[in-house]
Amino acid sequence: MSDNKALTPSNKHEVNAARELPVVTPAVDIFENTNEILLHADMPGVERENISINIDNGKLYLSGTRTVTDSGATRWQEFGAAEYSRTFSVPQSIDIPNIKAHLQDGVLQLQLPKLEAAKPKQIKITTG
Amino acid sequence: MWTRMNELEKMLNNMDIFRSRLGSAFQDFDRVIEQRHPWATADNYPRTNLNDTGDNLEVIVEVPGVSKDDINVKIQGNYLELSGKRTREVPEGYTVHRTEREANSFSRSFTLPYEVDADKVTASLHNGILTMSLPKSEAAKPKQIAIS
Repeated sequence: MSDNKALTPSNKHEVNAARELPVVTPAVDIFENTNEILLHADMPGVERENISINIDNGKLYLSGTRTVTDSGATRWQEFGAAEYSRTFSVPQSIDIPNIKAHLQDGVLQLQLPKLEAAKPKQIKITTG
Repeated sequence: MWTRMNELEKMLNNMDIFRSRLGSAFQDFDRVIEQRHPWATADNYPRTNLNDTGDNLEVIVEVPGVSKDDINVKIQGNYLELSGKRTREVPEGYTVHRTEREANSFSRSFTLPYEVDADKVTASLHNGILTMSLPKSEAAKPKQIAIS
């Protein structure tokens, strides 16, 4: 696990800049079947480059920042720039190198495949 | 006897305070998702921003997970109506652990501060944010009057 930490340098600068934004918990849907876990998170207005997904020691850290362009005089404002942030516990049986992430219509879709060893197996009975 | 009454009244007052706090706690419960924005209730979904850029009104709407075919915009004079639906497709053969993202149809109408030219409205959808540019109608634009 200590090796993992060396691979992901912490960007202290970024964290400090983002701290001024209101932190929002994105709403998520989680589905599971025998092969994988799916996680869909609402993150409207977040660009692909501004999303970070980190997995470390059984925890999945999801965060993303969105900016709102202000042009002209504001008549009313119901939402603004925000930082989406949420942490999930994930089982150790996730095949981390094969995780896929896809962003569509402001929804982040994460696909967490399970390791072969963790999939349920049917045992065949042989007769001698 | 009177002191007793006073004490009783004090207690009742305290209970009132407690009750109102409890009430606000229940309200907060409904908006766990976005604590910083108390206006984020079901009544004004989807949330919008309105900017005035002089010639145009700019409406920005937060519609995550809605494809452009599922949004309808209706404009008449200074009346704007947004409607659409958000669908949640549970993938075949998956068990559901958590469903926080609402799947519902929505409708919201606004009275714009100016009449807009409905023919020249442009709208684009990017990353779940709908941005509409509504040009003000000629009648609503400021005019210079020449003095003869």
